[in-house]
Amino acid sequence: MTPDEREELIEAVTTAHRTIDPFTRMVRGHEAFHDLDDDGRRVAYERTLATRAIERALDPKGWTTTARAVMSRLRPAARRP
Amino acid sequence: MDLDLHLASIAAGDPDAFGAWMAEAERPLRASLRSFATRVDVEAVVQEALLRAWNIAPRVERDGAPNALLRVTLRIARNLAIDEVRRARSVAVGDDDHDASLRFATTVAMPDPLLREAIHTCSERLPARPRQALLARIASEGAEHDGTIAARIGMRLNTFLQNFTRARKLLADCLRGRGIDLGEVV
Repeated sequence: MTPDEREELIEAVTTAHRTIDPFTRMVRGHEAFHDLDDDGRRVAYERTLATRAIERALDPKGWTTTARAVMSRLRPAARRP
Repeated sequence: MDLDLHLASIAAGDPDAFGAWMAEAERPLRASLRSFATRVDVEAVVQEALLRAWNIAPRVERDGAPNALLRVTLRIARNLAIDEVRRARSVAVGDDDHDASLRFATTVAMPDPLLREAIHTCSERLPARPRQALLARIASEGAEHDGTIAARIGMRLNTFLQNFTRARKLLADCLRGRGIDLGEVV
């Protein structure tokens, strides 16, 4: 893996986009996370913290993309049984 | 601050009240999972824990201490992370992890209007392409894969990711010029 490829994997993990596992119905980890070494995962975590702080400041309700992703799953589904 | 001021409305099924609670609860929740960052995808755990918080809220009883729902959610998140570590047969969970998250339940911070203003100003000064990447991902609200967002704004995926990295770095540099360390803020 080249340094550029590693950088892209780290940045890919910082998105709030996550899929739902069709069998467990739980939020599934990002595929890029599993391709990173420990240092890369640590950097991705720290970058995500910074990214969410920026998002929070730029959103009128103070919601991050994580919060908006969660909200989008609440509204149509109401409460899961 | 006691985020349980939203609890009755959340329990009654009000998504907006949950959103207001989540705006404050997300940061301590994510911070509580730092020790798991090399072993589980913290973003997935945070989102799953928040969804479970919504589901469990009607059964949460206040115990006299503040932030009952946040404390329950921190515990849910920690248990999810431990389950994931065990499922992956990764490194055993050490004593340092036990209940370390609970101290965050009483340290919920209010948003700082000055910081908010500084981030706004700095984001407006970003070069066009990094700013476009930053705002496009925010606008997608976590609903789209980066590849989809990149295609929509006419970038290749790797270019989009590079621009996003650059946007955050330039924004952090701009904030530093105003005496704000983004690392300390988070």
